[in-house]
Amino acid sequence: MSGAAATPANLRGERLRLRLRNLADFGRRFARRRDGLIGLVILAVFAVLAIVPTLIVGPLETATTPSGLSLQAPGGAHLLGTDELGRDMLNLTVHGARISMVIGLLATAVTILLGAVIGIVSGYLGGTTDTILMRITDFFLVLPTFVLALILAPIILDLIGSDAQILGIPSTLFVIIVVIGITSWASTARIIRSQALSVKERMFVARARVIGGGGGHIMWRHILPNVLNLIVANTVLTFAGAILTETTLSFIGLGDPLLPSWGQILNMAQSTGAPGLGAWWYFAPPATCIVLVVLSFTLVGGALDDVLNPRMRSRR
Amino acid sequence: MSGPLSPPASGTTEPTRQPNAAASIRGRRQWPLPKQADPDAPLLVVEGLTTHFTMESGTVKAVDDVSFRLDDGEALGIVGESGCGKTTTALSLLRLLPSNARIVRGSVRLFGIDLVPKSDSALRRYRWREISIIFQGAMNALNPVRRVGEQIAEPIELRLGVERGAALRRAGELLELVGIPRARGRAYPHELSGGMRQRAMIAMALACDPAIVIGDEPTTALDVMVQAQILDLLERLRARLGLSLILITHDLSVIADTCDRVMVMYAGKVAEEGPVHRVYRAPRHPYMQMLLRAFPDVRADRRDLGTIPGQPPDLRNPPAGCRFHPRCPAALEACRSEVPPEVRFADGVRVACHLYPPGSDGVPRALPVAGDPEPAR
Repeated sequence: MSGAAATPANLRGERLRLRLRNLADFGRRFARRRDGLIGLVILAVFAVLAIVPTLIVGPLETATTPSGLSLQAPGGAHLLGTDELGRDMLNLTVHGARISMVIGLLATAVTILLGAVIGIVSGYLGGTTDTILMRITDFFLVLPTFVLALILAPIILDLIGSDAQILGIPSTLFVIIVVIGITSWASTARIIRSQALSVKERMFVARARVIGGGGGHIMWRHILPNVLNLIVANTVLTFAGAILTETTLSFIGLGDPLLPSWGQILNMAQSTGAPGLGAWWYFAPPATCIVLVVLSFTLVGGALDDVLNPRMRSRR
Repeated sequence: MSGPLSPPASGTTEPTRQPNAAASIRGRRQWPLPKQADPDAPLLVVEGLTTHFTMESGTVKAVDDVSFRLDDGEALGIVGESGCGKTTTALSLLRLLPSNARIVRGSVRLFGIDLVPKSDSALRRYRWREISIIFQGAMNALNPVRRVGEQIAEPIELRLGVERGAALRRAGELLELVGIPRARGRAYPHELSGGMRQRAMIAMALACDPAIVIGDEPTTALDVMVQAQILDLLERLRARLGLSLILITHDLSVIADTCDRVMVMYAGKVAEEGPVHRVYRAPRHPYMQMLLRAFPDVRADRRDLGTIPGQPPDLRNPPAGCRFHPRCPAALEACRSEVPPEVRFADGVRVACHLYPPGSDGVPRALPVAGDPEPAR
């Protein structure tokens, strides 16, 4: 209505400038957090490993075919030694990064998306919606991860075939992602709902309603920004948890032996009896990687939580 | 005291129209009057408004048979102690009430359109665009994790359907209008001082160029200096934008500074209403007399401030007759049983008290409380 004098192009430019300024602000504040930067650097390294493992150590086929003797100690042609089949450990670990990270990211995305949407909607709307959604949440909350995985894995694999791909993801990985997603969104939803319950009673929500905001507007513009710190913290924890769950699921044999994730490698090391044989190079690299990724995510998450929360800004 | 635009304190609350003044103010509107509006009707006429809260322990008669009128460019102050129905009266105008409240009787006519029978979705057209609110406690009414400018732009986007970038620019103009540099729109609420936050709330109330702004204790949590600045700002905005103002407060001096007329409420009813200078100089209702005596005066010699003994009544079960009679030093026999009728006097003051029977000349018929030198204890 009013303000029609400004051309659309002008307005778009203004909005873009504003967004860029917010982004620059964010970058400046994040750069002041040393722990966050360290975490970011570690993550960047693993991201490179995950995105282009082929450039660093050669294609996946070279990782899964033996190239040396059985259980060779590090040195020479094999910087991190070999496994019992004579496969190069460095090669396996680097390729494992991609699989572990993909599983971690996708499982986290599913968990947080489900958890945040259900938590916010349930908390804000309340009443019958809340009751129904929370009973469903309760059901998923008590599902044990491993039992569900053991049941779901063969069913899903049977339905879609173990060679099939879903959205470019091999079905074996897809099962792990689905299982982690299904079992972990419920606690996220619970946490976010509890915060949404308290936020919606605040006066600015009543004010937004008076101004004319509908439910969607209030949830998106008022509740979501106020639970964002919880979402960030939960994302970090979920990602760390997803990598660990993937490790465990692979460890008990639900992984795909042709797609060596870090958990898969640990599983093979265990079944070979690597610790007993003194072959530390078999389990140390994937274990170190898992610890580093989880740690770096925690560091970045802590810094993000601080930077994204305007109330924390004056202290520093 | 009153701005250049405020109409000369009109004699009574009967429709004495000033079509010219009204037309000049309404001529400045950004958009036409609502379709059913009567261009000659007074801005706002409230008649017999009665609002009840349904509680487990009974029905609270928070507002009972309240009538008043607000003209273009005029400022009306509503004063009374906590829980006397000031805020409920104001929120009833746009039905911004909690879910357990409902308007039982009465009419709220804005430009001659009765808002009470309107559906919620029909009322939305009036909320914020015609009547907006400056909320009590700016810190709580602002979302702590969103920039102030974005929040001011919110009603512009939602109500007027203006595109985001344009709304943000308009928010910047509004901030400058209330005396905050445009760049501070990028600040978060906690980065602003209390006075600036209150100014931001005023900017938000002005966002859609409303006809009436309701200030619900807009200066309560502020120190006196900032309070004076905010009141001064409201006064200037009223003159410049031709706003009409309803100011809710328990601070009599705020009303003396800013308002043309004052309405004194007690226990959900109007006790006295009239031009500020008349009511303050010659209060007629014993409650208003005692209220004024309980208020410190720099020029007065008195060391002791008056108090009003007793407690405000329980509105689930208000006393019969005049609701003030248990605390009134001048209570008559009639006060215990009969609800006093509202009587209008020639100087524009309206009083509901048995001391002034219909047709009286404004001089109380029984024991005057006004001249009493002893402060009530």
